[in-house]
Amino acid sequence: MNAEKQTLVDDAIHEKIMAAAEEVKAWGEAAEREARDLVNQPTINNWLEAMGLESDRFHQGEAPPSMAQVWTMYGQGGRHPDRDPLHAMMNVLTDAGFNGVLGTNSEQSYDRYLRVGEQVRVTTALDSVVGPKQTGMGVGYFVTSRSTWYVGEERVATMLFRVLKFIPKVTA
Amino acid sequence: MRTGEKLPAWELPITPTLVVSTALATRDFQDVHHDRDRAQAAGSKDIFMNILTSTALCERYVTDWAGTDVQIKGISIRLGAPAYPYDTLSFSGEVTEVADGVATIQVTGSVSLGAHVTGTVKVAA
Repeated sequence: MNAEKQTLVDDAIHEKIMAAAEEVKAWGEAAEREARDLVNQPTINNWLEAMGLESDRFHQGEAPPSMAQVWTMYGQGGRHPDRDPLHAMMNVLTDAGFNGVLGTNSEQSYDRYLRVGEQVRVTTALDSVVGPKQTGMGVGYFVTSRSTWYVGEERVATMLFRVLKFIPKVTA
Repeated sequence: MRTGEKLPAWELPITPTLVVSTALATRDFQDVHHDRDRAQAAGSKDIFMNILTSTALCERYVTDWAGTDVQIKGISIRLGAPAYPYDTLSFSGEVTEVADGVATIQVTGSVSLGAHVTGTVKVAA
């Protein structure tokens, strides 16, 4: 028995969290969604203006690489699919009292730049759940998911995204 | 690009307009990125920059220097202190490795509270 774990989180709760993690990991690439819109110039233009990035390249058919995630954002009032691995795992932790959430890492890789007119889709898988850890925010678990973007059957980008789900420390 | 080469420093004033316009341009409608009352109710000092924008600004910082003709292979970031309006985001960077046709550029974006974003941008070299 891990001494650190014993002091941070009740054994039964920890076992339940790790069992849920294994179950959700077994879903593999799930929650497949299509982007609302095709890769399009007006959305690229809004992004370029907001970021202050100017380039002829992004007016000639290509999209900035870090926009990969933008195309499949849920948008206003968007709802997660029932079997979304990241949100399913976050819900398990929220229900166990880890109701704080903080994004800690985003690791994006681009196989190629997207082109105007392409229809993008994304899948999400649970990569790992690590913890419990004592952090500056409080005791928590790191939840890492992997998103994969495709055009047709071609993989175009991936992202490892890590959040800390934690029990907020009570401040005086 | 060669190992040890430094990128010129870049200072970006963080305004409410920057935080809100970039959140919406990245299609991120979480209230903490555009509604100060809701952000403060959630325990935050103010609205704060979203993660897609932190990533995008690393892309901009590197392409402002290298040109947008470079092919970006990946952007990996770790988030630290929140980027609030009325602060300044100060970027510094250095080429830390050039190997197998890929240059790795270490990038840090700091605010008054410390490092907001630390990461690497990989580009075809």
